[in-house]
Amino acid sequence: MSMAPNYGPDAGAWMCGRCQKPLEQIRTTAFYLNSAFDVVLPRCPQCGLTLVPKSLAEGKMLEVEALLEDK
Amino acid sequence: MLDQDSLHAFEARCTQESPPRCRLACPFDLDCRAFLTLLEQGKIDEARKLLVRHVPLPGIMVRLCDHPCEQACLRRDLGGAIALHDLELFCMRSSQSQERSLPLPPKRLRMAILGAGLAGLTAAWDLAHKGYPVTVFHNGEPSEALLTRYPQFQHDVKDRNFLQADLAALEKRKVIFQQEASNPELLDRLSRQFDAVLLDVDSASVRAPDRRLVNAQTLLWRENIVCAGWLQRTATGHTYASPSAQAGEGRYAAQTMERLAAGLSLTAERKKTQGTLHVDVAHVAHVPRVEAERDVDGTALYAAAEASAEAARCLQCQCLQCVRQCAYMQKFKGYPRLYARQVHNNAAIVKGLHTANELVNGCALCGQCAELCPENFSMAELCLAAREDMVQRGVMPPSAHEFALEDMDSASGPECALTLPDPTLPETTSFLFFPGCQLAASRGTQVETLWIWLRKALGTSATPGVALLLSCCGMPAHWAGRRELFKQHMKKLHTIWEDLGRPCLLTACASCLAAFREGLPEVRAKSVWEIMDGLDISSLLGQATNRADMPPVFSVHDPCTARNNTAWHTAVRSLARKAGAVLEEPTLSTDATACCGYGGLVWCAQPQSAKDMLAHRAAQLPHPALASCIMCRDRLAAGGKECWHLLDILLPGMTKSGTGREPGPGLSARRANRAQLRTRLLAGTGHTKPCSLRVPPELLARLEERHILLQDLEAAVTGAEACGQWFANAENGHRLGSWKPRHVTFWVEYAPENQGYVLYDAWCHRMIVPGSGGQEAEAVIKAQQCCTDGSRGGQGGGRS
Ligand code: SF4
Ligand code: SF4
Ligand code: SF4
Ligand SMILES: [Zn+2]
Repeated sequence: MSMAPNYGPDAGAWMCGRCQKPLEQIRTTAFYLNSAFDVVLPRCPQCGLTLVPKSLAEGKMLEVEALLEDK
Repeated sequence: MLDQDSLHAFEARCTQESPPRCRLACPFDLDCRAFLTLLEQGKIDEARKLLVRHVPLPGIMVRLCDHPCEQACLRRDLGGAIALHDLELFCMRSSQSQERSLPLPPKRLRMAILGAGLAGLTAAWDLAHKGYPVTVFHNGEPSEALLTRYPQFQHDVKDRNFLQADLAALEKRKVIFQQEASNPELLDRLSRQFDAVLLDVDSASVRAPDRRLVNAQTLLWRENIVCAGWLQRTATGHTYASPSAQAGEGRYAAQTMERLAAGLSLTAERKKTQGTLHVDVAHVAHVPRVEAERDVDGTALYAAAEASAEAARCLQCQCLQCVRQCAYMQKFKGYPRLYARQVHNNAAIVKGLHTANELVNGCALCGQCAELCPENFSMAELCLAAREDMVQRGVMPPSAHEFALEDMDSASGPECALTLPDPTLPETTSFLFFPGCQLAASRGTQVETLWIWLRKALGTSATPGVALLLSCCGMPAHWAGRRELFKQHMKKLHTIWEDLGRPCLLTACASCLAAFREGLPEVRAKSVWEIMDGLDISSLLGQATNRADMPPVFSVHDPCTARNNTAWHTAVRSLARKAGAVLEEPTLSTDATACCGYGGLVWCAQPQSAKDMLAHRAAQLPHPALASCIMCRDRLAAGGKECWHLLDILLPGMTKSGTGREPGPGLSARRANRAQLRTRLLAGTGHTKPCSLRVPPELLARLEERHILLQDLEAAVTGAEACGQWFANAENGHRLGSWKPRHVTFWVEYAPENQGYVLYDAWCHRMIVPGSGGQEAEAVIKAQQCCTDGSRGGQGGGRS
């Protein structure tokens, strides 16, 4: 299953509220139903807080979830 | 459960694939529906192709056939049978022979046919077509026997050409015609020299055996000799030749010869056992046969337009009686027999996509199909079995039903559930009033009032004492195929019932009643309507027996879960009339009612399908509707159909005008209302804490479509704030936090406002992303590495 790997924030100048650091696009792994996917997401370089933009959650992610559920 | 046997049992019930009566009567299995469709469309050449594929000696047969199909045609009493015979002749006359001889590899086994009558020539045609070397032994000219038996053939020169053409086609297929004078040894010689022999009893020079010596099922006489071509005998003993019967026997005999020659069983799998196609002709209008000029022997000589018009009279016989009424089945463009195969194939998939999950989870389990089907085929039974199977094997998509199951959990949990004894008679409990979690969510104050009234009305009776139980009945678990969960839930309710001294359950929801009857058959349960109908309800109605804004006529809408519950149907109507309502029955009512889309959790798994079902039902109700189930009521009203609940007219003082059009509370409000009712009943106060998160109503409505509730949003803001995990937008000061209470991660974009917060947007996903949802990235990754079972749960609102 291919998931386009790099997703930035939808809009706005987002930073980590806890560390006050600007976010960086960092590679991480998402999991669902015995499957794992590499994906690059905005993340706080200090504490690791990771953002899942709406466009991803309601787009590709939903699609992949549905696909995995029917597998 | 979903094994081959059950598939066959299901499949066998649906007759949609059974041939129509015309085809069944045709000895050549002509697909009359397709043939007539082509003719109607003016595709005469294609129609001919179809005809010659089925009918042997097509030129001869269309001329001679005594058309048993027309005897059987369902149009017969509705304007006259379709003129199949005339149309076939029209087709053959108005098109060119397109015979592309596909030379089949010649076969080794040799066939002899003794007698060139219709049976013999038909067998020769079929066998030669399959590549067998065939020799026909006859007297005189090859056509002599045919012309003697069917002299009517001689007067139409054009059709004589048909005869020549068919004989020529036989020769082209290497059939050898050999003149052979009568000879007593002939038959035994042929039997030795050939692999199988057909004796055409109507034309052979050899004497035919007594018919009783020939096996009626296989047409085998002795050794490798079969017989065909007998005359028909009427009840009065008169004999006559039926061309269709003779040719049909010829074809059947040829099949026996093949089996004989190849040493196969003569009987195995020869008879297809299929139920009779059910066709509903109740509303079919009478349309007379298209008349045309006739030739000497009475055959209509159709012009092209006339032929098309006559073909168009065909009813295209089909069953689909269930499909025509079910929006869900229409969506998948098939019929139960096909669906049964798809559902079984789906269950057999080990690796790969389960393409029929949507089919399985789209059924409302409402049972209308079984009611309408002459064979009682139940898609509900099929789909429920499939769901239970999927749950058992762990392949049910988590998003399908989880939201509904969580709602069930919440409605039965400490926040909303409550058992109260009758306050005036705490020691005696004759009845247990079970309003159902949806009525509690939507008509809380009416539930309270009704409980008080029931206590009073029954207080002086022989069976006083009405306790109250607020909880979900557990039906969602049953519908979701979660047998274990349903059982556990029923056990909990059973304990409460036992503790109360086994009272009679009174439900105000048909689904609850159905759930109890399914899960707790030992518990006496009936509808609250039945009890009320036996009591004097004037104190309930008060003065206002005829509300000013009550519609002049209601269409009664019965809930699908009250199907076959006559007591329910009767009580509802009786009560409504006592309240001054005028009722009209829709075409599909009581046992044949249709689902509003709430049944079977379709509203949860496939919201769009549920809306389609709702619209489908609403369109069947000409007047404002009167429902006796709150979910039907709220859904119909939300879909724009004016709909009243029975309680709205039984408790006229408690609803404001315009009740029937009010959409009813949203999902978040329902949950809150249940909790409120509980609090109110417990403490006599109606207050809950005001929410600290302000969500604009349009936004909430949009989010509820995705099954994101106010409670989830509040929890997410609270969670994000508590652990300090949120992002800040430097441009506008918005915060973005996430929270994963169970299986779903909720994202909230919000900002502080006064003492609380205001919401701007929210979304959710089921994938687990380290560093979000209120958990630290490292912990998530560690936990996922050993076990990625992706705990089941979910948001289903987005998929439909
Ligand atoms: S009603 Fe439906 S299930 Fe029953 S025979 Fe007809 S098509 Fe099949
Ligand atoms: S109406 Fe059409 S499909 Fe039905 S029996 Fe007659 S010819 Fe056949
Ligand atoms: S929705 Fe109802 S009528 Fe339609 S297939 Fe399912 S049980 Fe049958
Ligand atoms: Zn940080």
